[in-house]
Amino acid sequence: MHTSGQPPKYITIVARKGRTEAYVTYESSTWSETAKTIIDEMIKAINGMAADNAAKAANPQINSSTVKRSLYEGSTQYKSWRYSPEQLEQVRTSLNAAAVAVIRDTFEADELGSSEDVLFLNANEEQLLVKLYITKIPQLCGHFRFPEEVEATAISYLKRFYLKNTVMDWHPKNVMLTALFLATKTTNNPISLESYTSNIPKTSSSDVLDLEFLVSQSLNFEFAVSHAHRALWGIWLDLQSLPDVSEDLRPQDVYDIAIKHVRASRFTDAELIYTPSQIALASLALVSPVLAERWADSKAAQPLSATLDPTLGSIKYIITQMGHPPDVEAVREVDRRLKLCKNPEKVPGSKAYLARQTAEQRRAEEKRNKKAEDVRRAVTESGNPFGSELNEDEKAKQLAELDDDDD
Amino acid sequence: MDAVEKANTARQKRWVKDRKVGEGTYAVVYQGREASTSRKVAIKKIKVGQFKDGLDMSAIREVKYLRELHHQNVIELLDVFSSKTNLNLVLEFLDSDLEMIIQDRSLVFLPADIKAWMAMTLRGLEFCHRNFMLHRDLKPNNLLIASDGQLKIADFGLARDFADPGHKMTCQVITRWYRPPELLFGCRYYSSAVDIWSVGCIFAELMLRTPYLPGESDMDQLKTIFRALGTPTEEDWPGHTKLPDYVPVGQFPRTPLRDLFTAASGDTLNLLSRFLVYEPRRRINARDALNHAYFFALPHPSHPSKLPKPAAQTSRPLEELDGNVDMAGAGPGVKAAAPNKLKRKLTSPDGTDLRPLARRLDFTQHAKHS
Repeated sequence: MHTSGQPPKYITIVARKGRTEAYVTYESSTWSETAKTIIDEMIKAINGMAADNAAKAANPQINSSTVKRSLYEGSTQYKSWRYSPEQLEQVRTSLNAAAVAVIRDTFEADELGSSEDVLFLNANEEQLLVKLYITKIPQLCGHFRFPEEVEATAISYLKRFYLKNTVMDWHPKNVMLTALFLATKTTNNPISLESYTSNIPKTSSSDVLDLEFLVSQSLNFEFAVSHAHRALWGIWLDLQSLPDVSEDLRPQDVYDIAIKHVRASRFTDAELIYTPSQIALASLALVSPVLAERWADSKAAQPLSATLDPTLGSIKYIITQMGHPPDVEAVREVDRRLKLCKNPEKVPGSKAYLARQTAEQRRAEEKRNKKAEDVRRAVTESGNPFGSELNEDEKAKQLAELDDDDD
Repeated sequence: MDAVEKANTARQKRWVKDRKVGEGTYAVVYQGREASTSRKVAIKKIKVGQFKDGLDMSAIREVKYLRELHHQNVIELLDVFSSKTNLNLVLEFLDSDLEMIIQDRSLVFLPADIKAWMAMTLRGLEFCHRNFMLHRDLKPNNLLIASDGQLKIADFGLARDFADPGHKMTCQVITRWYRPPELLFGCRYYSSAVDIWSVGCIFAELMLRTPYLPGESDMDQLKTIFRALGTPTEEDWPGHTKLPDYVPVGQFPRTPLRDLFTAASGDTLNLLSRFLVYEPRRRINARDALNHAYFFALPHPSHPSKLPKPAAQTSRPLEELDGNVDMAGAGPGVKAAAPNKLKRKLTSPDGTDLRPLARRLDFTQHAKHS
């Protein structure tokens, strides 16, 4: 069991029968497994131990999974997308500074001194704009009647995207549309692109698909996300089987209000700092501290609620203080300034955009020429007496094939 | 260039493609290596440009689940990067698959070998199920074998999370011969038990060296199953006649497994019969299967390095690459098995091999059943 102020990432339950001991470890995101399951697991584990030990001695190949490795700690969410508040701040500030430096250079390359009067966005202003587009996702999901998982996943994608990119390069409007479309697919709720775009005004299929690779890359192709609303549902199911929680202690509206807090948490950084089950428990604690305490205590031999308090306090603060849509006027001001300071390389038609395109085309052409040269050389050097008889069509075909293989 | 693109380019440079080893409609597979270490890898290049809805579902499923799952008996996804309009999955390189091994008539399987493959399959599957994931396409061809003999579950193009109670799922999954009766009856609510049925079919195939239940159509598949295991009664499987696509396909008597699997031990047949229970809720789960007496009885499983493997390193069959499934299409969402596989023959018991023959075969009995 842990001793620090941090909530435990997992708990280990020990079952004893005579001199045999079995350990079952649960990580916090699966605390919502019912108490009955846990007891069943323990009985199974302890009964399996004796036979298992004998078998292990006889045959080391068969390892029983009596001791569980924490599943949550194996997830990409745990490994790649958890930050301390300080780390989060640091990531955003340095990302913003790097972006400003690059864009300033681009301005200067275009016209000396032209960046002097530009008021670039700072990290907080970028955040504000992203937050506004986070609030658009539930609206769109309501329109499409997407399940909550799609909504929550798209919001996570949008947040994660802007930990790797700046709004001055990529406007959140398109990224939001791409993230949502991608989320329908990754959560196994796909709809056709056509019905997606035709239901969103002024949106073409390229607005959605052009950024799909960029968004996927930014997510590091880590598509699976665990959500607090699932954890809350698990806690709610658990509460129904706790002996000391009578029915009048858990009226339906406790859940209904708690889920609203979970939804509010999506407007905040909570999911980048805390686990889904911590956020769920804090949301429940906001409605019914007693239920939250009973549930937490039911999960361990010693009361857990005391050690959880500081964490729950922080999450409750984040939800109540920051869990609301941003002030539209303030965002409008940011968006107005963004028009002046966005990366000109990403604005079709601008000088910088054209320059970048030309450079890319030149690089591609050089690559093609080099390949063509390689093929020509290969044909000649192979001494193939028919080499010279290749007609243009065949050569083109050969080149195309080579090109296809190489990317 | 943006930081994200730069990172992608850097990842791309880590890997070198050496030669094309296969091409399908959905992907091209290259043998390659890690530039810095020369470690062999397989690079699966998925052509994305051709899909009008962007990244396609089977590519997304494969990436999503392999990113999360890390287990000795699940194929390891080492890296993902994009190039132009292609998605590249860098996977650990695996020489062969269980189908190739089953088909290789020069190999003789001992009961201990079969036990080792079964243990590795179940360990990988138990891990998937513990992570709330259904594979939905288990078959010998998707169980790859590493050079050290380790078995790895591959091809997660049809995988999905466990659905919530009451949430419908498609029943057009799992290659026909390995598809459980509840899916053939159109069941839209199902569980990890569907994968277990496939494991049962694979177990039987390892003993028979030929597919156990090779139906020629979905309808024939049910008949093939019932002919082998007997038509289920209401008691065997309560409520099955109420399933959406239920059709009576005839009454077949239940014949003891012993009649076909003449050389198998009692534990073996018991475990096999528990994989092939009609009622999905009574079918054994992966975890309990691993704790079944079969795995604790003699002989002990062979060490992976001692398992039979094909002598010649042939390239992977191309059918493997056609993993793309058009779930929106009219056809069944599974890979059709090549018809010539039906002709798969049993190992010739020539007895010249140093290893003793694993089991006695009753050809007449089998011919009657298939």
